[in-house]
Amino acid sequence: MTSGSRVRRGGIAAALAAALALALTVGFVTARASAAPDLPPVPPEELVASVLEAEPAALAGTVAVDNRLGLPAIPGVPAEGFTDGTSTARVWSDGEGRGRLALPRPDGERTYVRDGTVTWAYDSADRTATRIPAREHDRSGPAEGDPQAAAREIVGKLRDTSTVDVDGTTEVAGRPAYTLVLAPQPGERTVLREVRAAVDAETRTPLELTVLGAGPEPVLRIGFDDVTFGPQDPALFTFTPPPGVTVEDKKFEDKGLKDKGNADKGTGPDAAAPGRGHDPDRGGADALRTVGDGWDAVVVGTVPQGRGPQATGPQATGPQATDPQTTDPETSDQRGADRPDLSALGTPVSGPWGTGREITTNAGSALVTDDGRFAAGAVGTDVLGAALQQ
Amino acid sequence: MNRTGAPTAPRPVSWGRLLGAELRWVLRRPRTWLMLVLLTAVPVLMAIGIVLSDRPRRSLLAEVTGNGLTLPVVALSILLTLLLPLVVAVAAADAIAGESQHGTLRGLLLAPVGRVRLVAMKSVGVLVVAALAVGLVTVAGLAAGWLMIGPPAVLGADGALLTMSGTTLSPSGALYRIVLVAAWTLVQLAAVGAVALAVSAWTEHPLVVLSSVLGGLILFGVLTSIPALEPLHPWLITTGWGAAADVLRDPVPAGELVRSTLVAAGYLAVGGAVLMVRMVRRDA
Repeated sequence: MTSGSRVRRGGIAAALAAALALALTVGFVTARASAAPDLPPVPPEELVASVLEAEPAALAGTVAVDNRLGLPAIPGVPAEGFTDGTSTARVWSDGEGRGRLALPRPDGERTYVRDGTVTWAYDSADRTATRIPAREHDRSGPAEGDPQAAAREIVGKLRDTSTVDVDGTTEVAGRPAYTLVLAPQPGERTVLREVRAAVDAETRTPLELTVLGAGPEPVLRIGFDDVTFGPQDPALFTFTPPPGVTVEDKKFEDKGLKDKGNADKGTGPDAAAPGRGHDPDRGGADALRTVGDGWDAVVVGTVPQGRGPQATGPQATGPQATDPQTTDPETSDQRGADRPDLSALGTPVSGPWGTGREITTNAGSALVTDDGRFAAGAVGTDVLGAALQQ
Repeated sequence: MNRTGAPTAPRPVSWGRLLGAELRWVLRRPRTWLMLVLLTAVPVLMAIGIVLSDRPRRSLLAEVTGNGLTLPVVALSILLTLLLPLVVAVAAADAIAGESQHGTLRGLLLAPVGRVRLVAMKSVGVLVVAALAVGLVTVAGLAAGWLMIGPPAVLGADGALLTMSGTTLSPSGALYRIVLVAAWTLVQLAAVGAVALAVSAWTEHPLVVLSSVLGGLILFGVLTSIPALEPLHPWLITTGWGAAADVLRDPVPAGELVRSTLVAAGYLAVGGAVLMVRMVRRDA
């Protein structure tokens, strides 16, 4: 081989490597850069109205949840999808109420299929399929009535405590979107900074929800990583339990789930909605009431069955610390028997309201007193203490 | 051979002869065969373990219980973490560093064979070992899964494989998934092989190749477990290796399979370029 060809070949290889490095860099940079697309401006009322008016879209996509809420791990409760971390879900919807949701794990998958009449939940870990009947009162709220009026009402109510703005445009999963920003009014004593929602410019489907706290990183981001709109294969929305799989029926009298659903909402700014947090079915023992409104609304209540966390040890619970997803039929059926031990959570505190434990997260905090009261909200513990005294 | 009798450059050796010589050389080594036989035994041992034990929880192996056709997928996914890269690294270490250590590389470098051809020949040798390893594991997994565990008996003739999403696949659908994961595994191993050959071209100690490949994989595992290094994770080849289990989901999520294949292509290109530069510039 001549030295000329040797040099040439070395040059070719070096050029190949350089081209590759360039391609990688360019790919990296373009993947990061998301220029704000040009969209006609829209006032917040109209944006909210268009979201309410929008037909549910048929779509397939991947949703990522970035959780930096800093929720404590509860002993005895699976940490999956609940403590900090990133998880993804695959979703399909036909736009007519049928849908499919797959929650992959490295070693398995949990799949939910809603075929219009029932919802199936399949878990590959124990190969069980659970049949969940549809709720009758599922469809309610602003879907009926005039969306424009409803949107004006919603935005008007939010404006009492928040600034509502359309903060330009953004790109989510490659689609141009409007950003609706809710920020607390200066007087609000919340630990949250703002809530941002990205709404697809074309279909007006919410694509991303970001909750920002004190830090620069969002405490919670739920949004599409990729999404395609269009008709989906109908076979995705049927589920036949494969032979050999255990089929269970879920009874639908899950009071525990409801309690928790309400308590969970109480930590968000929408707790301002009047009447929220009052459930007529519930006994006086664990009645919830809301103190304050807007961003510093605090849910105050009594730990179920009037027992304090230290008096009862493993049976005590505070709804604020349990996630709706982690509730399964067994634990709600045998209320109080297999409750996770919450007495080890948080740090002991005392104040004019008494003594107890405080649990702080990146998006709010909770107080559980030794005599069985609790308060939770998207606020600091000083506000919670004041609310307990009211 | 030269009818005119005039002196000319030596005729280039044909590709077929070169490859044949290299493959004979690679496949005649007892250690190659020993490794391949041991690899083949792994799916069989897995099948025996699954038949004898209860269904494990929180493991991909749980999918195999009563669902034999998932065995090749699970076996490939588990072996890809260390053993398959080890086999490839041994082949790559022998290919250049081993020959360099024995002094036989000099003859090859001086022979009237272009350096590019020489690199191609060595790469094909490593690739054939990787393909044999993947093929044997797949076939052994298929056979052991079918004969010892069997498809879910209750599914009847139509269903051969129960996916993690709770759907059933026909025999041809199951076979397609198995071929898909085997091809994907081979691409990942080709990337490991290219990097291993590049290391092999820079040293004359086969052990250096082995330790850098295995050490690299272990290092990547350590880096993956450090949350603060998250921006680095997509660039590590091991990050995408969990995607093998994705073929057991329905519909198959292509995203991670494609992404990990592109990352592997990047490693392949970088490793190949370094290997080529080194071999072309190398003095005999």
